[in-house]
Amino acid sequence: MDLAWYALLGLFFGAYLVLAGYDYGVGLLLARGGGPAGRRATLTALGPFFLGNEVWLVAAVGILFGAFPVLEGELLSGCYPAVAGALVGVVLVTAGVQLRSRPTDERVRARWDRVVVVGSVLAALGWGVLLAALLQGVPREADGHVAGVSHLATPFAAAAGLAMLALVAVHGATFLTLRLPVADAAVVGRLARRLVPVALSAVALATVVGLLSARVRDAVQRPAVAVLLPLLLAAALLAARAALARRRPGWALVATGAALALPVALVGAALWPYVLVSTTDPGASLTVADAAASAPTLRLLGWVALPLLPALLGFQAMCWWVFRGRTDGRAPVYW
Amino acid sequence: MDTLLLARLQFATTTSIHFLFVVVTLGLVTLLVGMQTAWVLTGNPKWERLTRYWGQLYVINYVLGIATGIVMEFQFGLNWSGLSRYVGNVFGAPLAIETLVAFFLESTFLGMWIFGWHRLRKGVHLALLWGVALTAYASAFWILVANSWLQNPVGYEVRDGIAHLTDFGALLTNPSLGMAFGHVVSAALLVGGMLMAAVSAWHLIRRTPDFVLFRTSLRVGLVTAALAITLVQGFGFAQFGPVGEVQPTKFGQGPEAQALITEWTARFGPGDYTPPVLASVGLGFMILIGFTLGCVWLLLPLLFRDWVIRLRFPLWLVLLALPLPFVAVILGWIAREVGRQPWVAYGLLPTDQAVSPVGAPVMLTSLIGFSLLLGTLAVTNWVLLARHAARGAADPPLGRPPAPPTEPAHPEPALA
Repeated sequence: MDLAWYALLGLFFGAYLVLAGYDYGVGLLLARGGGPAGRRATLTALGPFFLGNEVWLVAAVGILFGAFPVLEGELLSGCYPAVAGALVGVVLVTAGVQLRSRPTDERVRARWDRVVVVGSVLAALGWGVLLAALLQGVPREADGHVAGVSHLATPFAAAAGLAMLALVAVHGATFLTLRLPVADAAVVGRLARRLVPVALSAVALATVVGLLSARVRDAVQRPAVAVLLPLLLAAALLAARAALARRRPGWALVATGAALALPVALVGAALWPYVLVSTTDPGASLTVADAAASAPTLRLLGWVALPLLPALLGFQAMCWWVFRGRTDGRAPVYW
Repeated sequence: MDTLLLARLQFATTTSIHFLFVVVTLGLVTLLVGMQTAWVLTGNPKWERLTRYWGQLYVINYVLGIATGIVMEFQFGLNWSGLSRYVGNVFGAPLAIETLVAFFLESTFLGMWIFGWHRLRKGVHLALLWGVALTAYASAFWILVANSWLQNPVGYEVRDGIAHLTDFGALLTNPSLGMAFGHVVSAALLVGGMLMAAVSAWHLIRRTPDFVLFRTSLRVGLVTAALAITLVQGFGFAQFGPVGEVQPTKFGQGPEAQALITEWTARFGPGDYTPPVLASVGLGFMILIGFTLGCVWLLLPLLFRDWVIRLRFPLWLVLLALPLPFVAVILGWIAREVGRQPWVAYGLLPTDQAVSPVGAPVMLTSLIGFSLLLGTLAVTNWVLLARHAARGAADPPLGRPPAPPTEPAHPEPALA
């Protein structure tokens, strides 16, 4: 039961990184300019999917609160700056994307677009640092609380944040390659291919720094997984590059999406059976089973979630299906 | 400044801003459902234009509802980790259900609705708006289930200092829940109706084009507001019974309250167990506003032969009354939440035990940062709302038909 809910939590947070990841990637790419029309076209590509992507985060935190209340409290308050930073980013992107086209003045719109860029950077860095914080362990004391927030300031957390930023950028460029009209897609496709080596180096850097960090080595319970999954991640990025070269942007997006989901799987699998490993007191490490809500709560949520999941996935799939294909002159423009 | 006060201030700020936007969301979406349904059933283009105009305002308003809502959700973990530690087994469940059953679908549907004009079949497009509205109500319901549990914890037992769920049904039949849900939902309808009437009144005062359109929305708004204020008053006064029973200290100093305080002093040690006076003051002013708004009924006879428009001063009254329902919902919320103090879960978990053990500097930075961020966004959002409301219904961007596939405006010269 614990494991099922832990997997579901991973699924929702992973899906959030995959789906909102391209929101933030597209947001980052607003920084490359392209004039008012170009930036509007970029956001039109995001269009109907934007609202449906962000909700995965809300649902993930809902599951975190309902099924893993102890983890919710300790993780969020214990990694306060990372979570708050990501949260500010999410809020800026949410408001920026939806409001930027409401003023008619192009200068005001350009200012909103800068807000979206900043928000995308913050969100990507924040979630990268949060995943790194899990992987390098936290100073959880015997009283069950995480002491201070300075434990976040490590080279590994910084490297992981930057890796997430690079991954999100590749993912966003790949999404635009799939969605924009053919003429614009070629340009952004070249950009995506150039970004792949950047992301590869960032991931490699984060992996090496992680392997060198004693905290990470101590916290990780399954070293094999912790080494294998970054390799898979690199393979996914190379596959994306190959698919982009062969003008198969759909497959490329699947590959970059996998690259964004893998860090979640990595954290979940490498720490199992723990979820918060204490760096100061081994007895204070929190296992998934201890973090989970008691059985009646999980049973109740299970009965709610079981019939609901197909509906949630079905309506999301409906959105993807209805608005599939490249944008063109007749695509609905709103953002 | 201690962490507890900072965390409470942050929660109050975020929730107040959140509440100001979600009541509009909930009220307007109900009226939108009516308008779009009328359009699909009658085919009268007036209803389509009304749906687009009010839908535009609804969608702008929705943005801040999400932005503040996400911050609220994270705040439980960031600032109130004791809440999840001691009562998360029970309190977390309705919140989790809300995100999955309600908000997830609401936003997914809304994305499709915004971009679905001229693309989806009319029936499907209307069904999406119905979906948005139903999930919005479901959202309000589950949030109030969670909130009512904090007001009156039920259906749990404490083992090893931690609350465990024993009877989920008790959460749904909580005496704190039923009337409060009716009260909040009708307050949202009141806000939606008043907003619609006031914006329409402004257009009618200024004699902008689209008289027919704004005449219709003025009438819809006023009738909705009148029906809603009666429901608000009814559900509001009906709450005094159950609230007095389960939370004697909230508004009263009677013998039950004294008995409870004696019991708490025995169990939790001596302390100040009476809520701040702010709760009762808020309640008093809210009731005053409620009675004032009841005068909306006096305007209804003036709808006959458009006297309400011809006399003009009723339009000014409606316009000037617009802030009142917003002030009232904040006061009502203060009465409910401040009246619960010093408990986060009434009689079960004191507020000072629920606050996260983070340092005051971190909490202060967070309070200032998020208040500035959300405050700025809220003001920006209201300015945008006012501008779009003033722009009129000529051609709102929402639901604008796509450009017809014609020749480019400047065709390439064929022999260049």
